[in-house]
Amino acid sequence: MNHRCHQVMRGDVMAGGYRQQPGASSGEVRKDGKRVAGKQKFPPPGSGGSRPTMAPRDLDAIPESVGGKEPQPAGSHIHDRYRTGTEVGKPRALVDSHAKVTGQAWYGDDVRLPNEIIGKILRSPHHYAKIKSIDTSKVEALPGVLAVATGADAPNTFGVLPVTKDEHAMAVEKVRHVGDLVACVAAVDEATAMEALNLFEIEWEVLEPVFDPRKGLEDQDEPIHWRGKYHVGTTNVQKRVFQEFGDRSLVEDPTASSHGKWRMEGVHHGFTEPHAVVAHWDPNGRLQLYTPQQVPHYAHRALSTVLEVPMHQINVIRTFVGGGFGGKSDPFPHEMCAAILARKAGRPVRINFTREEVYWINRGRHPSYIEVKMTADEEARISGFDIDALIDGGGFASFGHVTSYYNGVLATAPYELGSFHYTGARVWTNKPASGAMRGHGAVNTRCAVEVGLDEMAEQMQVDPIDLRLANLLPPHSRTISGFRITSNGMREALERVREGSEWDSKFRQMPLGKGIGIGCGFFISGSGLPIHWDPNRFPHATVHMQIDMDGGVTVHTGAADIGQGSTTAVAQVVSEVLALPIEMIHVRSHESDTSPVDLGSYSSRVTFMNANAAIRAALDIREKLLNAAWEMLGYHPDVLVLNDRRIYYKHDPAVGVSYLEALHKAQEDKGSLISSGAYRSPPMGGVHKGAAAGLAPAYSFSAYVAEVDVDVETGLVSCTNVWAAHDCGKALNPLAVEGQIIGSCHMGLGQVLSEKMVYGRTGHLQNPNLLEYKIPSVHEMPHVTPIIVESSDPEGPFGAKEAGEGPLLPILPAVVNAVYDAIGVRIRELPLTPDVVWKAISAKTKALGGIDETELPSPRLEHSSLQETLVARGTEHKERDRRRQRSEDTSAYVNGVLFGFDPDQPLEDQVEGWRSAVEPVPEQLAELGLAGKAWLKKEQRQMGGDQ
Amino acid sequence: MMLMPPFNLHHPKTVEEACELASTFLANNESFDWVAGGTDLLPNYKWHINVKTHVISLANISGLDTISMHEIGAMARLGALTTSKDVHPLIASAASKIASSLIRNNATVGGNICLDTRCFWFNQSEDWRRSIDWCHKEDCGTGSDCRVIPNQNTLCVATYQGDLAPSLMVLEGMIHIIGPNGQRNLPVEEFFQLDGITRNVLQEGEFILKVTFPEGVEKRTGSYKKLRIRESWDFPEAGVASSWIAGDASTLRIASTALESIPRSHQDEIDGLESGFSSETIPQLSEAIMKSIKPVNNTALPPRYRKSMVRVLAKRSLREILGDRS
Repeated sequence: MNHRCHQVMRGDVMAGGYRQQPGASSGEVRKDGKRVAGKQKFPPPGSGGSRPTMAPRDLDAIPESVGGKEPQPAGSHIHDRYRTGTEVGKPRALVDSHAKVTGQAWYGDDVRLPNEIIGKILRSPHHYAKIKSIDTSKVEALPGVLAVATGADAPNTFGVLPVTKDEHAMAVEKVRHVGDLVACVAAVDEATAMEALNLFEIEWEVLEPVFDPRKGLEDQDEPIHWRGKYHVGTTNVQKRVFQEFGDRSLVEDPTASSHGKWRMEGVHHGFTEPHAVVAHWDPNGRLQLYTPQQVPHYAHRALSTVLEVPMHQINVIRTFVGGGFGGKSDPFPHEMCAAILARKAGRPVRINFTREEVYWINRGRHPSYIEVKMTADEEARISGFDIDALIDGGGFASFGHVTSYYNGVLATAPYELGSFHYTGARVWTNKPASGAMRGHGAVNTRCAVEVGLDEMAEQMQVDPIDLRLANLLPPHSRTISGFRITSNGMREALERVREGSEWDSKFRQMPLGKGIGIGCGFFISGSGLPIHWDPNRFPHATVHMQIDMDGGVTVHTGAADIGQGSTTAVAQVVSEVLALPIEMIHVRSHESDTSPVDLGSYSSRVTFMNANAAIRAALDIREKLLNAAWEMLGYHPDVLVLNDRRIYYKHDPAVGVSYLEALHKAQEDKGSLISSGAYRSPPMGGVHKGAAAGLAPAYSFSAYVAEVDVDVETGLVSCTNVWAAHDCGKALNPLAVEGQIIGSCHMGLGQVLSEKMVYGRTGHLQNPNLLEYKIPSVHEMPHVTPIIVESSDPEGPFGAKEAGEGPLLPILPAVVNAVYDAIGVRIRELPLTPDVVWKAISAKTKALGGIDETELPSPRLEHSSLQETLVARGTEHKERDRRRQRSEDTSAYVNGVLFGFDPDQPLEDQVEGWRSAVEPVPEQLAELGLAGKAWLKKEQRQMGGDQ
Repeated sequence: MMLMPPFNLHHPKTVEEACELASTFLANNESFDWVAGGTDLLPNYKWHINVKTHVISLANISGLDTISMHEIGAMARLGALTTSKDVHPLIASAASKIASSLIRNNATVGGNICLDTRCFWFNQSEDWRRSIDWCHKEDCGTGSDCRVIPNQNTLCVATYQGDLAPSLMVLEGMIHIIGPNGQRNLPVEEFFQLDGITRNVLQEGEFILKVTFPEGVEKRTGSYKKLRIRESWDFPEAGVASSWIAGDASTLRIASTALESIPRSHQDEIDGLESGFSSETIPQLSEAIMKSIKPVNNTALPPRYRKSMVRVLAKRSLREILGDRS
């Protein structure tokens, strides 16, 4: 029997529907209209979705390289042959959006366990104090109180980074900021718990607090933490970084230079959902912990350490997360408190935060002092970046170790540099701890750097966009610090915002009070090394998949959807590979019991790593299905096509089997199909100390143009228009990418225009509420035109890179530069609240002889001869980049080629004085910036102390 | 989540019943608060600020929500004012700048006039205020010092941030008050009394019935300018209202708010103008108004800046009523 015949026979059966039971006729209907048990009409083969018949192949969503019509200007991709045109590249509502818009998503506060009681936390009223004694007897005696715990109940330290575990569930010896956890209590209701908080009797010894990070660099009697032999003097320096690469002699005799000292206030994520946790020790003695976590796995580890319970006896259940942005990525002390109270009380304990507590646990962006010196040579090449960043870490380390590096190293691209010099220090102060926030560590320096470039462009009388276009690193190159750049859409992003905003007819040509500005961004797409470095080559992400006879695909992943759409991304790629409608993909990601380990939603790693793992798992299933079809049809998988619940012969679609038929064949004697896929980033990067910080398997690039209106009399700035181009490699879901771009714009605008954590005269946080912490409302939102740039990353899933954090970076400098264009005043203080702008305007009008604000001169641009040089170089580089991006040119390229160096020879051999250093040489000590002063101190071990 | 402290809520149906309730509590020495829209009082309660045993709601008393050119009831909702064709356009415009539309739907005219003074040392949770050892406005029995200006224990400098008051002043409104001792009325500018704790002349048990405006108010042109960071939600950081009957300089009225513990009428500065009110004297007048106020550091923006902005706001407001758009 030939296969065509076989197909016709099957066709007959198909007309009657796919039978559920052998021998039973289908679709029998009883007289009363009810269906006959066991004889229901089973949908036809290929079923599973809501469509009765197979949809035609969507050639518009299948790449050119595999015979489709989707254009690929950036070249083909290794995953192209798995494209089925089902989901990838299509704007899709997030799969969890129905639950959210109907109010059925269960956030931390929606979890209600029977018999639960309420926990409350006693917080420190002092900035810095030793706890001499705590008497809990009165608390315990209060009727209704079921459990009380203090620091003594959980002496083990934890922290998100294994190198800096400096937190306790509750203060053990001393409290480090107002709002630090002292003790906790669980009672039958909230009112009783709150009453109980007043009954603690505590004897304090108040210590001298430190608020100013500059003071933190000095030796103290009582440093906030003690790092033993690695402690830097007796200061509050938690981490210091020194990095120097390149030829420092290039910075001499610059054609243009910029030197800016910045003061950036701390900002908070301002997520909608306050922290909420429920802990329950089940009848088997296992801990079930419900928490809105971005990084459930690290919370899992920390809980195990603090509670002294093996990890397998803890089930971390991630609830829906009402926004995280980095603020829910640390393991939190209140999670420990809930577990400790629940263990003591023998009942489930809930702890819900007030907004004020959210600000006290903080982990927002570091308040920073940043100094950037930069120079350009006679050909307008950037000969040096010299960055100094002093960041205020607050009371705990959190992610600060990494932030200290990121403030420097993430400025090494997208431009080619002659030299790079960075000193950074993070200090502890008696304030709520800073941590990771969207655009982690890169945002503040990026703003300073981009504004510096604007200033240099003005000095050289060139267009700042052309200055950038002529100094970009190409695709497939290496930065000065050794980061491996793969795909790079920076040039296209710049060109498209220039065109979209009609830049050339606006820049330096608008009347006073109206301005336009440019800013770029560069961010990691996943960190190359996981936080918990593991010698066993543990994957960064793992995805499990299971399909049973019903055809539905259950995907198990530990990736935490924090609203960014990671669950949707996983569902989409599985749907794409298996050619199944997305409603047939069910993602289970909430419980650590059922999810494979995933490192969490931070450093913009999820889509890149988790979707890659999901593709691998899906390919395994795909192979099984194709093999089954091979057996049934006699055609080799290479000539079989997957399309919408059918597998058929490439040259004759009539010859084929339904997905369910192939699945059932594949299931013979095995039961459900299961598979597992994992992702681990390739080995890369340099070998110097700190080389891993900022290392990523791919990088995203972005360019924004912002338009502002400045009221010169009041200093009020409003951003009216933004053209936002972001290179996300490949938009798996353009709708979600646009959402991320617009959302990033909003968040960045808050930091640049109005948001700040105000620490007053006494060091207290003055605005721990959403009325006084000024997040822009919808009214302040400009019109944002999102522009998606697709550079097709060779290692990204279907070419995708991150889109969650990178798009935030450019909005800050774009607005600051636009304000300069509007009023001709450079302001280096964020946020640009009206008083700050007004002060700068007043200073300028005074300097100009007391003129009226409305008579301020608007900056204007007359091109110098350098402009032509830049345009010519930019045009030349454009062709270079195109060839490299499409792999037509595969020669090596390292930072330095622009300066005439040979990429195939080690730079050290070519240039005398080419340095790659991670510690200052003694003669540099005198000229270090503010943060660099941390290097004037010696570590305890060098001083013979604290062995 | 913040827990509302317990209190007894009373719902009188008539003004008389309300006054009776108040006199009973006064006689029994029991503390109580009036509540109208609740958008100011209840957030403070949640912060455990000045919580009373009883709260008397005015919501069920009918007839207090009149909205017309010459009379606005204390229970008139701000949201209703913004869309009303009957009220003076200045009132509608000032009301539309208050908070957000959600809050305006509930908030009332009486509540806005009686808005509690605000200060970032005061509008904080109990834990927070404990950490600064309380403050003069809410000292919890400790006799605490003022945190804005330390070492003075006599005056509370919390800022009055009501938006309507200056507009009511420049339209020459009269406030009608009722209480257990009967009814009285007085001009709006006399209603406010210095000190962020005293705030106004209301005696215990008294509440506002309505605000009335004189005949001819409809001839007045008015303008209210408000300074704030965000164009929704935010309380004013400074506000200046002005009005006049076009062409008649003697009818010019100017008032400011959100700068001191009470809103201020600037009649003295107007009277100080030697050459009368015209577009030429606007800078001089604005400067004089700016010099007359003394903001302190207890709101989102620094006092020096707020003070400087009074000149700009006054200038813009005056230019607007002059019809001078330059």
